[in-house]
Amino acid sequence: MDIWSTLILDPMINSLIWIYSGLAQNFGLAIIVFTILVRLITYPLTASQIKSTKAMQDMQKSKKWQDMQKKHKGDREKLAQEQMKLYKEEGVSPFGSCLPTLIQFPVIIGLYQSIIRALAVTPIQLLGLTRHLYPFYNAAALIPLNNYFLWLDLSLPEKDYGITVAGFTLPILAVLVVATTFLQSRLMTPPTATGDQGANMGRMMNLYMPLFMGYLAYSFPSGLALYFVTSNVVGVLQYGIMGRLDWRNLIPARFTSESKTSSGSKTSK
Amino acid sequence: MRHKHLLFLLVFFAIAVTLSACAGAATTATSWPGLTVDDEYAYVAYNTQVYAVDLVNGTERWRYPAEADNNITFYADPSLSEDGQLVVGSYDYNLYSLNAESGTQNWVFPEAENRYIASSLVAAENVFSPAADEKLYSLDLNGRLQWTFSSEGEAWAKPISDDNCDCLYLPTMDHSVYAVDAQTGTQIWRSPKLGGAIVGTPAYGEDSALYVGTFGGKLFKLSSRDGSILGEYSTADGGWIWSGPTISDGVLYFGDLNGYFYAVDANDLSELWKLSPEQLDGEIVGSPLVIDDSIYITTEAGILFKLDTTGKIVWSQTIGDGAKIYTSPRSANDLILVAPIQVDELLVAYNQDGVRQWAFIPAE
Repeated sequence: MDIWSTLILDPMINSLIWIYSGLAQNFGLAIIVFTILVRLITYPLTASQIKSTKAMQDMQKSKKWQDMQKKHKGDREKLAQEQMKLYKEEGVSPFGSCLPTLIQFPVIIGLYQSIIRALAVTPIQLLGLTRHLYPFYNAAALIPLNNYFLWLDLSLPEKDYGITVAGFTLPILAVLVVATTFLQSRLMTPPTATGDQGANMGRMMNLYMPLFMGYLAYSFPSGLALYFVTSNVVGVLQYGIMGRLDWRNLIPARFTSESKTSSGSKTSK
Repeated sequence: MRHKHLLFLLVFFAIAVTLSACAGAATTATSWPGLTVDDEYAYVAYNTQVYAVDLVNGTERWRYPAEADNNITFYADPSLSEDGQLVVGSYDYNLYSLNAESGTQNWVFPEAENRYIASSLVAAENVFSPAADEKLYSLDLNGRLQWTFSSEGEAWAKPISDDNCDCLYLPTMDHSVYAVDAQTGTQIWRSPKLGGAIVGTPAYGEDSALYVGTFGGKLFKLSSRDGSILGEYSTADGGWIWSGPTISDGVLYFGDLNGYFYAVDANDLSELWKLSPEQLDGEIVGSPLVIDDSIYITTEAGILFKLDTTGKIVWSQTIGDGAKIYTSPRSANDLILVAPIQVDELLVAYNQDGVRQWAFIPAE
């Protein structure tokens, strides 16, 4: 058995099935509860990431940073050196927001894989699942898992098993994924100057990522879409608990530009 | 800025298409080959096509469809009818009837709402096809629906028929076996819950008892009259039983996913002998093939074993590097046929001395 399975996949799959057994054998509820638990366990990492991001943003808004950008506009090497110096002075790590994300990444991948593997709808998948089960509880009594939740068969894409009206399958869960991903990215991303290249990239990500996630939600087994929605909602709540939500971000940029212009902030169109 | 939007869209589109291709199991096999034989041909259903292979030399007679269609995938064992039909279910929710001689399509039954993982039982006048939509469909030989029976779980195993009661026994993943009237599709009885899913076809004994293996690590003897439990045998370490047992001369032969292989007395379910995973190397998924006093079993490690009825290993043959075997071996014209995966060969034929006769590798 490989390290990935031993450390990540097996504990997750067995936890998921154990939660399922305690929740009236409802796999939809199990996904929701399991996602919440994983997000709670990884909350210190999320909090650390949010704090680092905030510190970085505050620093980038400072006059010292802005002056440095203007002063070394044509000399990238010098600018990088000065930026590193400032990071040191301010005690901010440029990787402070990346590292927790990197640590969370295997968890997210593991969560995705464990949901897909636990659903096991084909012989190869079911045979594969048996290799991940711990022997000290009676998994045989629970398998196959009940894949049905609300109107969904969690093992099938919503496009194949959704509510159909006049021959068209309504992408209800996919729309929820788009909405919550959009909400999360807008609420958690601070407003930035429009001329900034990184900010432009961020804006495009905020625009296309929800659509991309919606496409995945519509095409992949709906158990995964349920995980996306739950994870997004919990993410927003965690951000809210930390007092970092900025509802003004939901207002289109041109309106905020106008208000900022009137209050003296620098914006460009 | 417009160019950047376009670039982003293209990147996302490329990722989405790639991920969809990975998720859709169109070309990635999600099961192992289905295999059946008659006197002339072996019929192999695997992934996008069904192949008819000449038993004399392992050459391809025909394939269906002629051009692979990624939306149609086959894994269930095909079934032959007396009037020359080859019936095989697909993961596209359709049941296909092909002309076994030519490979042309006779009819398609499209009413299932999920995959066909189980093989169909073909009787003199009917085709009984369980699907993963928790239904058993009875059709006439022209593909017309006669009746539908609904269970509470998916059926991954071929049912068996019993002429004594004109009924069928359908094992399901809801941990129970159903007896169904073959004429009307009404339920005659349902066994108690047996502690685990059943994905193997039951064996029918001379004493009119049914023998089913479960994921709960038990082999049950059931009354064919009312489905009551007459006895049970527990596997070593609770190993899950995937395929049904094979019964011969009052002895049940079966393997488990821990790699044990058992010979159990069908009468009182006492253990006669067993082979350990150390002796056999790998999970045993397929049912054993019993010919006279010889038992042929395959393991996940890609090995074909010949045993005698005392449990002694007569010979073993490794199919090839990296090969895995989950399909039950079959016999025709003194050949032992195995259908491995993860190697080029789709079908390999041995004689009863373990000498390879030929191998079928589908042409691209």
